[in-house]
Amino acid sequence: MKIWTIFRYEFTYLVRCVSTWLYGLVLIAFAMGMSGLISPGDGVYPNNTFLITSIAVLGGLLWLVMGATVAGEAAARDVQTRMSPLTYTTPISKLHYLGGRFMAAMAGNALLVLLLPLGLLLSFYLPGMEEEPLQPFRPWHYGSIYFMIVLPGAFVATALQFSFAALSRQVMTSYGASLLLALVAQILAVAVAKLFGNWDLVKLLDPVGVAGIVGNELQTWTPSEKNTRLVTLEGMFLWNRVLWIGVAVGALWFTYLRFGFTHRVSSGRWRHFEWRSMAPSRTTAEPAIGRAAAIRVPSVSRSFGFATWVWQTLRIAGVSFVRIARHPMGLPLVGAMALALVVFADRIMVELGIPLLPTTQQLVGYLTAPINKINTPWVVIPLLIMYFVGELIWREREAGLSDIADAAPVSDWVLIIGKFLGLGLIILVWMALLMAGGIGMQLSLGYDNHQIELFVQVLFGLQLLDYLLFALLAVVVHAVVNQKYIGYLLVLLLFSFMAFPSSFGVEHNLLIFGADPGWWYTDMRGFGSTLRPWLWFKAYWIAWALLLTVVARVLWVRGREHGLQHRLRVVRHRFTRSSTMVALLGAGLMLVLGSFIFYNTNVLNEYLTSSGLLEQKVDYERRYGRYRNTLQPQLTATRLRIELYPDRKAAEIQGTYTLVNKEPVPIDTLHIGNLSGAASVEVKFNRPASPKLVDHALGHRIYRLEHPLRPGDSLRIHFTVHYRSLGFRQNGTEELVVKNGTYFTNYDLLPAIGYQRQRELNDAVLRKKYKLAARPALPFLYDQEARKKPFSTDQAFFEAIVGTAPDEVAVAPGTLQRTWTEGPSTCSGQAPSSGSGQERRYFHFKTSTSIGGEYSILSGRYAMQEKDSNGVAIRIYYHPGHTLNVGRMFRSAQASLAYYTEQFGPYPYGNLTIVERAGGGGGATADAGIIYYGETYALMNPDDGSEGFDLPYYILAHEVAHQWWGLARLTPAHVEGAGVLIEGLAVYSGMQVLAKAYGDGHLRQYIDALHASYEMPRSLATASLLRANEPFLYYRKGGLALHALSEYLGKKKVNGAMRELLRKRSSGAITAPTTLHLYGELQRVTPDSLHYLLHDLFVGNTYWRLKTKKLTAEQTKTGHWEVTLRVEAQKLTVDSSGQEEEVSMQDWLEVGLYEEGKGLNKPLYLRKHRIRSGEQTIRVTVPRKPDRGGIDPNHLMIDLRYDDNMRQTGK
Amino acid sequence: MALRDVSLTIPNGMYGLLGPNGAGKSTLMRILATLQEPDKGSIHLGYIDVLNQQEEVRRTLGYLPQEFGLYPNARAEDLLDYLAVLKGITHRASRREAVETLLKQTNLWDKRRQKLGGFSGGMKQRFGVAVALLGNPRLMIVDEPTAGLDPAERVRFLNLLSELGENSVVILSTHIVEDVSELCTRMAIINRGQILLEAEPLKAVEQLRGKIWRRVVEKSALVKLEREHAVISTRLLSGRTVVHIFCEGDPGNGFEAVAPDLEDAYFATMAGHYGNRKPEVAL
Repeated sequence: MKIWTIFRYEFTYLVRCVSTWLYGLVLIAFAMGMSGLISPGDGVYPNNTFLITSIAVLGGLLWLVMGATVAGEAAARDVQTRMSPLTYTTPISKLHYLGGRFMAAMAGNALLVLLLPLGLLLSFYLPGMEEEPLQPFRPWHYGSIYFMIVLPGAFVATALQFSFAALSRQVMTSYGASLLLALVAQILAVAVAKLFGNWDLVKLLDPVGVAGIVGNELQTWTPSEKNTRLVTLEGMFLWNRVLWIGVAVGALWFTYLRFGFTHRVSSGRWRHFEWRSMAPSRTTAEPAIGRAAAIRVPSVSRSFGFATWVWQTLRIAGVSFVRIARHPMGLPLVGAMALALVVFADRIMVELGIPLLPTTQQLVGYLTAPINKINTPWVVIPLLIMYFVGELIWREREAGLSDIADAAPVSDWVLIIGKFLGLGLIILVWMALLMAGGIGMQLSLGYDNHQIELFVQVLFGLQLLDYLLFALLAVVVHAVVNQKYIGYLLVLLLFSFMAFPSSFGVEHNLLIFGADPGWWYTDMRGFGSTLRPWLWFKAYWIAWALLLTVVARVLWVRGREHGLQHRLRVVRHRFTRSSTMVALLGAGLMLVLGSFIFYNTNVLNEYLTSSGLLEQKVDYERRYGRYRNTLQPQLTATRLRIELYPDRKAAEIQGTYTLVNKEPVPIDTLHIGNLSGAASVEVKFNRPASPKLVDHALGHRIYRLEHPLRPGDSLRIHFTVHYRSLGFRQNGTEELVVKNGTYFTNYDLLPAIGYQRQRELNDAVLRKKYKLAARPALPFLYDQEARKKPFSTDQAFFEAIVGTAPDEVAVAPGTLQRTWTEGPSTCSGQAPSSGSGQERRYFHFKTSTSIGGEYSILSGRYAMQEKDSNGVAIRIYYHPGHTLNVGRMFRSAQASLAYYTEQFGPYPYGNLTIVERAGGGGGATADAGIIYYGETYALMNPDDGSEGFDLPYYILAHEVAHQWWGLARLTPAHVEGAGVLIEGLAVYSGMQVLAKAYGDGHLRQYIDALHASYEMPRSLATASLLRANEPFLYYRKGGLALHALSEYLGKKKVNGAMRELLRKRSSGAITAPTTLHLYGELQRVTPDSLHYLLHDLFVGNTYWRLKTKKLTAEQTKTGHWEVTLRVEAQKLTVDSSGQEEEVSMQDWLEVGLYEEGKGLNKPLYLRKHRIRSGEQTIRVTVPRKPDRGGIDPNHLMIDLRYDDNMRQTGK
Repeated sequence: MALRDVSLTIPNGMYGLLGPNGAGKSTLMRILATLQEPDKGSIHLGYIDVLNQQEEVRRTLGYLPQEFGLYPNARAEDLLDYLAVLKGITHRASRREAVETLLKQTNLWDKRRQKLGGFSGGMKQRFGVAVALLGNPRLMIVDEPTAGLDPAERVRFLNLLSELGENSVVILSTHIVEDVSELCTRMAIINRGQILLEAEPLKAVEQLRGKIWRRVVEKSALVKLEREHAVISTRLLSGRTVVHIFCEGDPGNGFEAVAPDLEDAYFATMAGHYGNRKPEVAL
């Protein structure tokens, strides 16, 4: 059989290729490494199917981008090596030739990907690899994953790679197929899913499985399922396999039809897809010349000076540039992305689904990404760089021109730098395209403040340099490795090192090529202090780049000698004066800059690895955890004198805490924690006390009072905090005190009383690893001891005088009493003089009542507006350029204050401060009497028409609600469910204000948004609302459940229950509320007939499956319409292990009918019916003809499929 | 092919390197063209140390490799212009003139806007010649240059080389004896990495005078003849075989003396009967 011979030959050839083994090695190493790095969660064995499936899928992605040549070579090697005239003329059939070749490639790839499960097996069972106990070895797990997921994926990829290469007759186009599958299909699938809001589509469309399987399917598995569950061949996954195998077979069939054993004459359609055809183009005949006149060689002048170098370099750069620019992937890909920016501008410029003003600040943030961030679309740029570097470096050699070019009197420097510059030019054009896309985006959204200089600064400054450094690294690797594909592989590995350095145990940015501490730009802070460290790091990397360039130059292969020995020998006399100079310069700079950076990051600042950080937490708990229950006096008043020096990034804080012993026993020891490492702190007492322990490293001090503090007695602590940000850090921690953007909380700089529970490690697995006592992340709801402890006992009056730069405005909680300016001479003597003797501005704030234990201090060049709302002064401090939402915030705050006062009781704080916090973020946060919103919030530009959704209005209403349902007032017990009392009640309150201002339309949009988070792939096995332990439950389910209740019971009753809860807390009847208290209040207002609903929503983890199967309407003789609904209902509970159990239902559910063209807020019929489990028929008579209708039309129940609740009226 | 103990002195003028395929000619040429380096030894061109002053060598060099490719999508004029820059012709006007002249001289002017991918073997070879001639090289290294050229082109090119040889060094490698005999002032015969003969072609032929004998025999008699005589070449002529042997005196046996030509010298050298650099191991 010829096909067998072809197969055998090709397969043997594959086995003999070094690269094949290398791919195998990488895959095994990947599987073993990843398996070793990932620690399974609690109750999950190391050899769980979740891990095996994920690593198999991710390894498949790695194989895809790495090993495309296996199929590519099989398909197009003959043409590439110009052997095709010999092979194509042999009497073999297309089927045998292509079939044999494809089968060989497929067999090779099947074996390669088999190494993934094999590597995993090794990582589990090789002695010394795994210390944790394993679950029994189940071969079918590996078999199922290999045959269902990995192998079909490999088949699809091989088929496409093979087809691409065979039809284009180029090995390299197989990478195009890989790219298509790895990126385009992936991104497309996610985009389609987002567009249609149906995540099942990802499962259907994603060929690789990174989004469809790992990102989607696996996320719904519960911990117990993770051990043994497998992806089964059913549903969307089955269709996915069918679809892609269909595509693969189709591609192969098409290849078979189109392929021909012909000498390719470059013409026709394919020419446009060929970059460099190895087959000669159509040759032209020329007349024979008989004359034999001698050739006269013109005499020219040549020069070999520096000018010539420059000329030659530029020319090579130009030629390289043109070459890439003409490549089908060279400019179009980035160009298409830029175009997509413009076309989809209104989809991209959104935050939380709400359109944003496309300010340049937002755009430069969107258009750039650190080079090592791989989950952005811009990852294509490093990938393109990798690809084109290889092509440029190998260009002469692949064209066969290297002998001639190498023998030309050109310096190696010229060749290297010229090619690098050519690539640099391309990157420059890419940046220009992105900039055009960005400006186009602004234009298409009707925004015209372009801030071109910021675009230029970011794209042609920051981002360009990053890409250039990476390109140079790739050039050096190719020059040194001198094997094209191994070069590609190595660059890819280096790239993955840069992307996941911590997986390799490297964290410090001095050790990750091209890395920097990051930069940000916001309208308020500008680049802040991020630019300087960024530049130092880049200078350091440029020094490295110089050094690497010398390496590339001395190892640059010129001519025919490729042996390592020879190349090392040549190195000697290649170290010319210029090379040595550059090398010395590079090394010198590298050492000097490296030392300088190290001094800043590790000497001036504390450098902690992530494990170091964990160990610090562990140390803290081990040493001081025993004081967890030590009784401490309570903070009742805070007085601060704060001097901010934004120019110098420094602050000086003098404070006095008044503490009262509210315990029944005397207290003789004081614990002061949270003394930040960045600041030095001095502490004094107003009564004799001696330090017993001062732990600077962990920020904890213990003082012994000479005379114990008797119950009811008070004590004052005076402290001084000197804070100064010195140098810079290796990763970009936010600066606290910055020009036009100071923002810090009391946790950042101020001392706290007692052991700081929030500093403990929370993650169960990590606690086990560090041998800390096992405990739940949140204490058990029914733990009586824990229920006595509120989140924070601090309830202090607050007063602060904040001094800041003369052009800035300081903001703190409380009412502004007074503001004044002090001249340079009156500057406080203790404060370090700012040198220039500037005048300073002072602001005096004071609260009229006690606020909780959390607050922030801000300073910036704010503009301020003030409005009164029934005696409450509302002040909004905002960045002068961010005026869009100021009016909206006033409206929302006024409406909220009025509504909540009416429903839940008076507003206690006298004034309300709303202040813009420098930095991104579309959300807002609240402390007592003060609300902070991010800069992105200020740019939200919602549609506030009746069809729109005013989310910013809601967000502020939510934050105002925290003035009632906040840590400072409700102060729940530190147990499960506490988040529901804080966030759930605030969500529900905010919804009411939104509905009151905008009507049902906006409310419905918000409810849909809450439901949408249920549609994201997630496990159904969550805790109940009473024992809620994650934000999803606090915000989403909490809001939905309370909203459903209010629809069943009426707002008045629910609000009344909430009001009662707050009243009892304020009066002291309840000291630390829990969800059980809320439940009790709700129970009191719920009629017996609906107790089941309250139970289902709060106690159980209940889901409904409601569906209208048939809806018919017939007109009666009286002109009325008799409507028949056939509905199906089911109710089930899901326990924490994911076990579903159907429960019989007899529930009151809304049944609604709607006329054509009328919205949900204008029902023709809406009444509650008793619905039991199973199918049933409902008959109602209505006066007019219904167009659609169904069960639970307002989506009050938790149902994962809402689209089938209603249907159109049928015949 | 590894070269062993090659030491040559090459004067101005044309120097022919003659040898069978795989003899090491190309290796030697590449070493001279700085594309490869010997494990040991030294090469000097005038005052230039080839191994340590590659840059200087390249400035004087015109190199036409035996095998080379061109960018298929580039146009002849553009690529030549580009290579001219690499050769250091930075002055725009003179570069343009040089490119134009060379394209005209190599009969490629009409094809200057054509893609090189469409060039025939001969056109490609002529383009290579044009590249090699860029920048008035004082050292021309041409490796099998006449392969692929049609007869007229071949003559033109060889004439050119000999003109160049008047005031520069031209090293020509070939396996066609005629190329050398017609043009070269000196030559070396190389086989299996070793130089077997280094001489002036005319003198080499002269020294063989009276030592080459010819006889026409039937094919069947050839085996016997090869046993008895030092046969250096055989050639078919109208169904019979013409045998040349090397013999210091008259071999009799029906042989007649012939006037030796360079081909005889070549074959005699290859057969080991002749040469001033006898290999250590007799072949």
